[in-house]
Amino acid sequence: MNEVISTFIALIPVTLAQSLILSFVVLAIMIPFRILSFPDLTSEGAYPLGGAVCAIAMVSGVPAYLAIPLAVAAGFVAGCATALIHLRFKIHTLLAGILVTTMLYSVNLRILGKPNVPLFKETKLFDYLDLGKGMNNLEKILIVGLLMGVVGFGLRLWFMTERGIAMRAVGDNPDMAEAQGNNVDRAIFLGVGAAGGCAALSGSLMVQSQAFVDVNMGIGLLINALAALMIGETILGRRKISQQLLAPFVGSLIYYQLISFCLAAGLAPSDLKIATGIFVLVMLGAPILKGKRNTTRLAKESIRE
Amino acid sequence: MLRSRPALLDVIASWTDPFLSAPRVADSFPNKWAPEMLNITNLRRTFFAGTADEKVALDGLSLSLGKGEFGVIIGSNGAGKSTLLNAISGALQVDEGTITIADDDVTRMPVHDRARHVARVFQDPMKGTASGMTIAENMLLAELRTSKARLKPGLTRKRLDNYREQLSYLKLGLEDRMDTQVSLLSGGQRQSLSLVMAVIKEPDILLLDEHTAALDPRTANLVLNATLRAVSALKLTTLMVSHNMQHAVDYGNRILMLEAGKVKLDISGAEKEGVSVQSLTNHFAIKSDRMLLGA
Repeated sequence: MNEVISTFIALIPVTLAQSLILSFVVLAIMIPFRILSFPDLTSEGAYPLGGAVCAIAMVSGVPAYLAIPLAVAAGFVAGCATALIHLRFKIHTLLAGILVTTMLYSVNLRILGKPNVPLFKETKLFDYLDLGKGMNNLEKILIVGLLMGVVGFGLRLWFMTERGIAMRAVGDNPDMAEAQGNNVDRAIFLGVGAAGGCAALSGSLMVQSQAFVDVNMGIGLLINALAALMIGETILGRRKISQQLLAPFVGSLIYYQLISFCLAAGLAPSDLKIATGIFVLVMLGAPILKGKRNTTRLAKESIRE
Repeated sequence: MLRSRPALLDVIASWTDPFLSAPRVADSFPNKWAPEMLNITNLRRTFFAGTADEKVALDGLSLSLGKGEFGVIIGSNGAGKSTLLNAISGALQVDEGTITIADDDVTRMPVHDRARHVARVFQDPMKGTASGMTIAENMLLAELRTSKARLKPGLTRKRLDNYREQLSYLKLGLEDRMDTQVSLLSGGQRQSLSLVMAVIKEPDILLLDEHTAALDPRTANLVLNATLRAVSALKLTTLMVSHNMQHAVDYGNRILMLEAGKVKLDISGAEKEGVSVQSLTNHFAIKSDRMLLGA
């Protein structure tokens, strides 16, 4: 047991850095799903897209601080593509996201030219902060933490503006929002696009963190992000917009520590999927089993057609 | 045309005053010199065209409403009442014809642009409000109907004070629950809120789609009275769909009976004064007990 604990503790910094980076993917799931009632799977493709764009830009000599915005822009376009498919062709949001993700796999391979590209020589974002030897993880935690704070604070401010409140109305009651003079399509483009941008941001940070990009890096990420979101929402609640915005970050931090604990406890990496599935089920199912009627809303969200 | 407009606060204050009876809008209207607010010409809309289920919902319907006029639309099921309201609000595109509101051709204008002219209260209390958002946020959305949402702080203290004050006159205690989710309100409370939201920025035309039909009789009365007061005090141009013939006789200054997608009967002015439920019913091809009973 002591060995498990000490392994777990040794893993905390690296897990923390990872979970901070991946919290942007959780945010990318939350915004369309919770704010716009637009359940969306584009993140699974936008995440490696962000990684690919960032990596290729950096290999071509673009500095990291410019490569990241490029990646975010690419992710935004991917999100808009999903929104366009749904709005123009009336295809269900989930299917639209799957279509875009599938197509992005080929796009990502085209961008990279080969399945994986190393980033050893290039100056990564994390190299701009030098705290000395052995402080790699701390550098990452500080930089990504700062970024997370800026994005989180920015979103909090946005959702207090007239436009932000109008955007929430689009997710809550699109017909009413439209009747009150809001352009529903534009809000969806903006929201789903921003989510794609968040996922791409996460991807671009991850390739710099691990110093290589792999075209398969997004596979299975979605269910992890969803599990993290559920954990965050169960802990914080989601009645208020501030709780809803904080949930992805808190959920991500806790979820990846749980996964890390499972690994420390000797669970094979191949068994992590079932562990994740069980997390999600417990988070969704526990309130229902306990008979709390209000919280059952979590499980049966209305899905936008 | 200059007319002193009463402050909205006074209007709402009078809504729930038990000593005032419902105003008779017909007393002061129609005004012959009132400019046209709504003009509909030759409106056509066919559902399922070219199939066995083809249904002509609007069949060359024409109608115009002067500023400040209050029309009550009656007609049996399938006469085109809801289709007409949907066409005016933009929720439904028409095949042919034109719709002009306040001299602005809105025929092909999307709903969100048309919103600056039109406010609507639905039959279903769920439809007119954003249930997952707070009362204050819903009020803000209503206030933004006539303007573009900007990148500025939404719920400012000034706005909140304004909303609180306006809601306080409803005497439903909503002003103390500004941060309450609308989903927690009763149907009557939600419908009252919808009404305040519809008139907070005076619309060029107010559409009332059987907005009291889903409420219990007492609440329905409350909401209807509040509606009549707001409409008369703000002199709003209004179209109200009702299944209740007595309402058509008692309220408004114009009765519009629809049948098979056309205006079959258009009664206004002195003629309307002499109308009774019985005389109206005689106009229906098929007598409907439901309407007689005011269900």
